Amino acid sequence: MEIRIKDLNKNYFSEGKTITALSNVNLTIPANKIFTLLGPSGCGKTTLLRCIVGLEMPDTGEIDIGDEIVWSKDRGIFVPPEKRGLSMVFQTYAIWPHMNVFDNVAYPLQVRNQSKEEIKKKVEETLRFVQLEGFENRPATKLSGGQQQRVALARALAPEPKVILFDEPLSNLDAKLREETRKELRSFLTNLKITAVYVTHDRIEALSLSDAIAVMKAGKIMEIGTPKEIYFGSEQKFVADFVGRTNLIQGKVVSIENDGPLISTAIGTIACQTQTAPPVGSIVTVSIRPEFITVTTRDCGKERNSFRGRVESLVFIGEAYEGEIRVGETRLITKIAPTASIKEGDEISLCVEPDGCSILLR
Amino acid sequence: MVWTRTALTPSLIVIVGFLTVCPVVMLLLGSFSEGLGAFGTFTLEKYIKSYTDPALIEIIVNTIVFMIGSALVATILALFMAYLNTRTNIPFKVLFQIISIVPMMIPHILFAVSWALLLNPSNGLINLLLKQIFNLQHSPFNIYSLPGMILVEGLLDLPVSYLIIAPAMSSFDVSLEESSKVCGSSNLRTLCKITLPVLRPAILASITLVAIRSLESFAVPSALGMPGRIYLLSTHIYRIIATGFAADYGMAAAVGMSALAASVTLILLYRHLTSESDKYVTISGRGYRPALIDLRGAKVPLFIIVALLSFFLIVLPVLVLLYTSLVPYSMVPSLKAFGMMSWKHWLAVLKDPVSLLSLKNSLFLGVVGATLGVILTLFISYTIVKLRTPASGILESLSFLSFSFPGIVIGVGFMWFFVRTPLYATIGSLLIGYIATYLPYGIRPLTSAFVQIHRDLEESSRVCGGGTFYTLRRIIVPLLIPGIVSAWILMATMFVRELSVSVVLSRPGNEVLAVQILRFAEDGLWGKLSALGIMMILVSTTLVVLASAAGAKLTKLRKEG
Repeated sequence: MEIRIKDLNKNYFSEGKTITALSNVNLTIPANKIFTLLGPSGCGKTTLLRCIVGLEMPDTGEIDIGDEIVWSKDRGIFVPPEKRGLSMVFQTYAIWPHMNVFDNVAYPLQVRNQSKEEIKKKVEETLRFVQLEGFENRPATKLSGGQQQRVALARALAPEPKVILFDEPLSNLDAKLREETRKELRSFLTNLKITAVYVTHDRIEALSLSDAIAVMKAGKIMEIGTPKEIYFGSEQKFVADFVGRTNLIQGKVVSIENDGPLISTAIGTIACQTQTAPPVGSIVTVSIRPEFITVTTRDCGKERNSFRGRVESLVFIGEAYEGEIRVGETRLITKIAPTASIKEGDEISLCVEPDGCSILLR
Repeated sequence: MVWTRTALTPSLIVIVGFLTVCPVVMLLLGSFSEGLGAFGTFTLEKYIKSYTDPALIEIIVNTIVFMIGSALVATILALFMAYLNTRTNIPFKVLFQIISIVPMMIPHILFAVSWALLLNPSNGLINLLLKQIFNLQHSPFNIYSLPGMILVEGLLDLPVSYLIIAPAMSSFDVSLEESSKVCGSSNLRTLCKITLPVLRPAILASITLVAIRSLESFAVPSALGMPGRIYLLSTHIYRIIATGFAADYGMAAAVGMSALAASVTLILLYRHLTSESDKYVTISGRGYRPALIDLRGAKVPLFIIVALLSFFLIVLPVLVLLYTSLVPYSMVPSLKAFGMMSWKHWLAVLKDPVSLLSLKNSLFLGVVGATLGVILTLFISYTIVKLRTPASGILESLSFLSFSFPGIVIGVGFMWFFVRTPLYATIGSLLIGYIATYLPYGIRPLTSAFVQIHRDLEESSRVCGGGTFYTLRRIIVPLLIPGIVSAWILMATMFVRELSVSVVLSRPGNEVLAVQILRFAEDGLWGKLSALGIMMILVSTTLVVLASAAGAKLTKLRKEG
């Protein structure tokens, strides 16, 4: 089901101060896609999720889920969470400690007054789906973090909802388990025809899991797009910086060539390949991701986008070296293959393909 | 949750405010009044009269010696036991758990009386025995003395002290000790130079809490102090209102004010110390167990000491009461004594209308009082933990302060109030007095139960489709049941044995068990006293067993939906 959010505003009052949690949010979450709300903590992403599910009431606006209006300030509609027919996986999992695994998963079905046999069948099916067969009678508190996470997922999936909401569900798992669970979750969700809204502050989680991402900041939606669009094509400094490490270089557009603008910066002239070029004379920021910078001890082979610099520091981080290169007064971060024979202090060339540069307007 | 939040906090503040502030204000006003009948006419006479009494100095000195003495006895014993339990390989560790819980079930008045039965100078069983064996002219021991009172009060407060010291001891970072040993110190030196100093906040907290309890204590001073004419503040107040021709509630209030001031000061000190101890005592990581010290040769002797201590704390008092209730008069256990055993005292108690009435009243107060108390504290704890408005802070402080109120002083304060109402000399006055005095005992288990219920647990039930009422029934209530049961048990057992509020508020017509036992003790009717005492223990135990069973059953039912 599609979720449409119109003109949503939400303010909190705490100790005499007003805190804006959501500011004029307009958003359409497409049906049967994994949609992620990404942003730093306190950006309002969890508040937005809680408004969708009905645990929080916005100050203004309207929320439609499918054909139903679940919240409308103007029409005075508020459908309570238990009547919205959604499912949610909480950050804390919210596994009820006084029930065993079966009872936890059966709960939403019992609420819906389904027959005992049907409940038993569905719980078994769901537990098999999340690979927790045979755990039915285990007390919920006697499970590991990853298993509790899957019980929470099973409980959310059991009533076969049309929409499922996730509030940072992986943040309590350790790094390795988080990676595995992320992949599992992706395959679970793509196998089901289901609309998933996923909240996280982890950019890798957002990029690898989502069909579409909305980046949020201070209660506002900054940008919406596919992971690739967000990562490579963002026009905003905040978004480009938030979704991955990048080098931001200030400059001025000096001319527009056939395939894009030329920008004069402190490290030299950078050629960018973009579709929407700002007019000549405008001040812009160029973003170059570390993985698009090739470092070589020889020449780049062509003159365009080739810069000379000195290796300031090299840190081995496993799959690569992270190098800090100084070009004039500017420091650039790069990724260097672990096999490269480069030492700190070396004079090297930096080569950048024009399609690896993007121009940030805001 | 469903409760309307706007009306809840103010009405709770009114109720709790009434329960805690009313007796204090009435006490204050009363202390400046002529007498119960002449309330409101200002006079300083009562203060002058009570504080120029030459006997008061001795009473205050006695009280301070008693407080410090029992605090030291309880804390040193608790340190010894906690160290053995958490840090050494002493056998039968389950014994330590029994010691820390079971003595709370034995009413203080009975514990004190059982020691009087053993060690009183005229016919205490141990004294009689020693006189027979060694052919002595005089009794070697006299429990009716300040050291005797200190010993018994110290033993009574040992569980409380243990419950403060043992957790601190087990969360102690063992590497502090290990580094001392690496530096070449012996176990003993490490204990004195490292372990005890690091535990200082917990030790001070234990000393303060036991001092508060012995300041409030009425059972031991009345059962052991009054026969030997050793008066403490609490028994002094009791003497002013309960003996002689004219009970002087004005003077009792004037004396009570200083007892109240002392205990409020101590409870604030206690609160300060416990917040300090959170800062200082190092808590180590998860699943961490300190290395146990091998006691080797000392294992058996130390275990015998602990076993004897538990015998004195738990088995002996009950045995003595049982024995005394069956023999016709105090005599050393012998074939002859066993031959003369009968149910005479039991039958006498069961035929005594006042004893029966007190049994009925205490049972009523235990069941109804605990139920009302739990309902009230349920709302209070919900407000403190879940609503967290600025007003709920007032609630927390109010109910915490009432923890320090000495029962007899609160009783006097309430007396000034009730005498003006139709509640005077009714069971209702006791009910209100009890709930006011023991409110914190219900709040403690229930706040921790509410803390356990994370907001997400409620919300996820609602997202799953459970409405407010469904969520309350299937999620919140089942999670609260253990807390409700332990709060109910705590309050019910406290109410069945309640003495210090009751000695003031209990009048002919609303007698309760502990007061009736005190009357028997004053009249030297040991046989009847013991029979009634055993009945009292049976009543409390039955309530505990029934409540636990009900809790277990409810939890099971709720789980199955």
